[in-house]
Amino acid sequence: MTTNSNFLTRNRGILIFLAVMLIAPFLVGLMEGSSPATILNNAGSFSRFLEGLAIEIFIWAIFALSFDLLFGITGLLSFGHAMFFAVAAYLTGIALKTLQLPFWQVVLLVLLAAVLQALLFSLVLPRVKGITFTLVSLGFASVFHIIVMSSDMINLTGADVGLQGVPVPAFLNPTNERFRFYVIALVLLVATYIFYRRFVASPTGRVCVAIRENEGRAKMLGYNTTTFKIIAMIISSITASIAGMLHALYQPIISPSVADLGFTVTALLIVLIGGVGSLNGAIVGAFALRLVDFVLRRFVGGSASIITGAIYVVFVLFVPYGIIGTLRLRKLNTKAGWKEVLARITGKP
Amino acid sequence: MKTTIQKNSKSIIVLIVIAAFLFVAARGMSGKDVVITILRGFSVGSVTFLVAAGFSLIFGLLDVLNLAQGTSYMIGAYVGWTVYVRPDTFVDVLTPLLLILAGFSLSALWKRLASFVHLETKPKKIVAWLLIVVGLVLLGLLLARYPISSWDLNNYAESPISYSYMADQGLRIIPPEATFTEISPELAILGIFATSSLAAFGIALLNREDNQQNNADWRKYVAPAILFIFGILVALFNTQITNWMFTLSTNWLFLIAVAASILSGIGLGALMETTLIRPLYSRPIYQLMLTLGLGTIGVQIVQAVWGRPEFVWPKPELFTGTGGACPATNLTDLIENQCSTIMLLGGRVRVYDEIFIPIVGIIVLILVWTLLKRSRIGMIIRAGVQDRQMVEALGINVRRVFTLVFALGVGLAAFGGALAAPSAGLTSTMGEKLLLSALIALAIGGLTSFPGAALGSLLVGLIQQFMIKYGQIGIPLPFTDTVFKPSPALVPASTVLLMVIILLILPNGLLGKKE
Amino acid sequence: MSNILEVKNIHSFINQYHILQDVDFVVPQGSITVLLGRNGAGKTTTLKSILGLASVREGKVIFQGREVQGLQPFEIAALGIGFVPEHRAVFRDLSVEENLKIAERNKGDFEKKQEFIFELFPDLAKFLHLRGTELSGGQQQMLAIARALVADNSLLLIDEPSEGLAPVIIERMIEVINQLSQQSTVVLVEQNFLVASKLAEYFVIIEEGKSVLTGLMKDLEADKAMIQRYLGAA
Repeated sequence: MTTNSNFLTRNRGILIFLAVMLIAPFLVGLMEGSSPATILNNAGSFSRFLEGLAIEIFIWAIFALSFDLLFGITGLLSFGHAMFFAVAAYLTGIALKTLQLPFWQVVLLVLLAAVLQALLFSLVLPRVKGITFTLVSLGFASVFHIIVMSSDMINLTGADVGLQGVPVPAFLNPTNERFRFYVIALVLLVATYIFYRRFVASPTGRVCVAIRENEGRAKMLGYNTTTFKIIAMIISSITASIAGMLHALYQPIISPSVADLGFTVTALLIVLIGGVGSLNGAIVGAFALRLVDFVLRRFVGGSASIITGAIYVVFVLFVPYGIIGTLRLRKLNTKAGWKEVLARITGKP
Repeated sequence: MKTTIQKNSKSIIVLIVIAAFLFVAARGMSGKDVVITILRGFSVGSVTFLVAAGFSLIFGLLDVLNLAQGTSYMIGAYVGWTVYVRPDTFVDVLTPLLLILAGFSLSALWKRLASFVHLETKPKKIVAWLLIVVGLVLLGLLLARYPISSWDLNNYAESPISYSYMADQGLRIIPPEATFTEISPELAILGIFATSSLAAFGIALLNREDNQQNNADWRKYVAPAILFIFGILVALFNTQITNWMFTLSTNWLFLIAVAASILSGIGLGALMETTLIRPLYSRPIYQLMLTLGLGTIGVQIVQAVWGRPEFVWPKPELFTGTGGACPATNLTDLIENQCSTIMLLGGRVRVYDEIFIPIVGIIVLILVWTLLKRSRIGMIIRAGVQDRQMVEALGINVRRVFTLVFALGVGLAAFGGALAAPSAGLTSTMGEKLLLSALIALAIGGLTSFPGAALGSLLVGLIQQFMIKYGQIGIPLPFTDTVFKPSPALVPASTVLLMVIILLILPNGLLGKKE
Repeated sequence: MSNILEVKNIHSFINQYHILQDVDFVVPQGSITVLLGRNGAGKTTTLKSILGLASVREGKVIFQGREVQGLQPFEIAALGIGFVPEHRAVFRDLSVEENLKIAERNKGDFEKKQEFIFELFPDLAKFLHLRGTELSGGQQQMLAIARALVADNSLLLIDEPSEGLAPVIIERMIEVINQLSQQSTVVLVEQNFLVASKLAEYFVIIEEGKSVLTGLMKDLEADKAMIQRYLGAA
């Protein structure tokens, strides 16, 4: 990757994605017969619905990206990742509803909480490795899940029913300002993605990849691997918190299920479907999973999650590199194939 | 001796600190509270141990952290409940299950037949997959039409909750029998056997031909034959067996139920290891993700079959006596009246929950310990934990031992579920909660250490129960009049805290091997 | 004299790494054959390929007239091959007795061989109930060899028996291996040329995953230039 190639060419893929997703609501609007103006006024019905679905996908994708940074890039498998998301969601809800703080303060609070949690996880990072870290992270997250579910905090969290009736600031109201919310979520996703790409290509990011490949060697080269893991952890935590905050603003109810192991599994599933460590896999995976889930729920109903589970197992067993990874392998093969054909025609090796 | 103490000085200090902490905690309580709390700690510890023991065996030898252990625990409980409360359902399920097993276990015959098929690799593969798919689809169609008397989740009067309630009241009414309506019994029974054989033959075709000559060993055909005959017999005498089970003493029924859940766990474990875990030994992280996924699927399936609401598993007669001399004050009274409770140091203790479960836990501990230390399998396991390749190089089929250990581990978890359910009830979240406790116990004790699993489970049980007890009576804070009552949410939090502290001091746990 | 083992042009892999790229040699019945070569040349991988511990993707391994490549390691071992790996690989959680008993292929193997083994290694009889790792390095090496003798093995694969041992113990080791070769065929990997020349009848030189030279040990000993070329200062 040349460093002086400009911003546009480097991020061509994601910028095309941004453009397409920006135009898409209007195209859908045209198809259902509503003019661009009605879309801007949040009046089209089908496009509104699709925007809603897309917002959920964007939130999932941001969350999955943050998971991929930890798992796919740095090689830290955390089973407590949902905690970052859930803490942000609940904090947003409680700060707006119970504390009635102004919005900018809520944002600051959420970011602060994100950093604090990352530091909490980092407490054990220098000592425990591999599977034990996974267990510790699961332990932390389970405690949070149990606290959220407990009846002691019912006034704050709504216990097992979930937190509802969060007063969302008018300019972000997902019902009245759906198109604006859609664009904000989209831009946040694209910005996160571009930032992540840069991070992975940066010297710091490369050390993170080195840690995944062989931590001992990275240490031997003189890197304090713990510091790099903490950096990755903080970035990941902040990103997950942004997703959690969007979730709290968008959904009418913050359900405690976003704090449990199942939600971390969702992130894992998305990353796995898309392709572990590929970053764009997180976006592809989020689209694939949400749409499959949507279709299944429509036609199969209750047993949809069993089928999603089966898909997960099939991916683990047969498509370990995910959609993006498999495509890349194909591409390499095709490239090699073409080269061979060319060599045969020209008679040169 | 001195060196062992020095080597483990940190572990010993940590243990002393925990013991001191528990001692101080116990001083704040009355004598009977202490007894009950400690016994409950042992009880919870025993159940946790059953799951954690399976964990540590599997992780030690196979390097697989089986995150489906919690679900196995839960499945054990639900299967046991079914046998205990609805023996008729159990008997109905038995026939198709045995016939399917018979079909698949005839693998020696299918392999032999498959060796007569000479085809190119590609068409052979296509034929094989075709056979598998056709076999399984037909099997599914047949099973869907096979009559199994069961509960109805949508009808409260026929829901598991109602049946549990009736069984608890001693009402053992045989529900109406399910009869063959859509297909004839002969077609169903032979069809199930034939279709599963078809699929098994397809699988045999898929396997690459090994150049070992298949010696026609008649012993290989005994097990399938027995399964087949049993399947047919159960089908023929379905009504009689059902009636017999309904008149059986609940003590015997309980034993059958526990045995059935252990067997289902063992079967499930063997199936999981051979089909899903085995292809992934070279990709450990994927194994972890797979078991996690299987765990979640398992929970969904349990919810689909048995429903989400909580229900109970009534205790067997042996532990429910209330008459005459109950609560018992001495052993003779206890045995004569089969009391549900017993007085110990002035505290009323439930016999099943606080006496029986810990005893079973200790028995299992001793049994597994003996298996590990005295038997050849145990020797292979201990050697395999260290160096798998070397064990294989000695001519030992390690793969088979892997399957065995995995099956045993899952079986232990299922046993734990069946044991705990009569005291704690059945919910669709029971697995997840126990998974967490077992993982914490394991991390505390040392991931691959079997005694570590026992010690960790005991600590987790004790600390949880002391926290719960203090949640009820409150801790008087020194120099103030306020009483601090830890809320139930703090119970799991306290064990996680313990785990984090221990891991910070001893990254490999209390008894784990230092790398 | 027939060949008990024939390794025919094998290519083997450990994970995705193509380690052996054409290794070819035969081992006559009742002989001691030594695999020579520099570090990382593929000697250990050759032993592992024979046993199936490294996957042989091309070529053939023929043991007692039967093709064994592609079989599971335990199946190959059970045909009568004993393996003494590098660094001994004594099981540390097993007692000396268990370390021997685990190698039984049929019940009672150990009882039958007990006398013979303890005659060869009197130390082991003394420490029967110690743990594997409580033994000294030399004793561990003895135990590893003894373990390969418990079952009836017609071929012994021994990897670096002299590694890290004191000269006196090496002498003893040479005696033992010589004694063993009267009953079974031995293939060994040895870095120490002196030890190799005292033991072996035949040699195979492996270089960069290829067998480059095979022949009689005494011819090689005579050819100093050859030793220099393939084995460096020896």
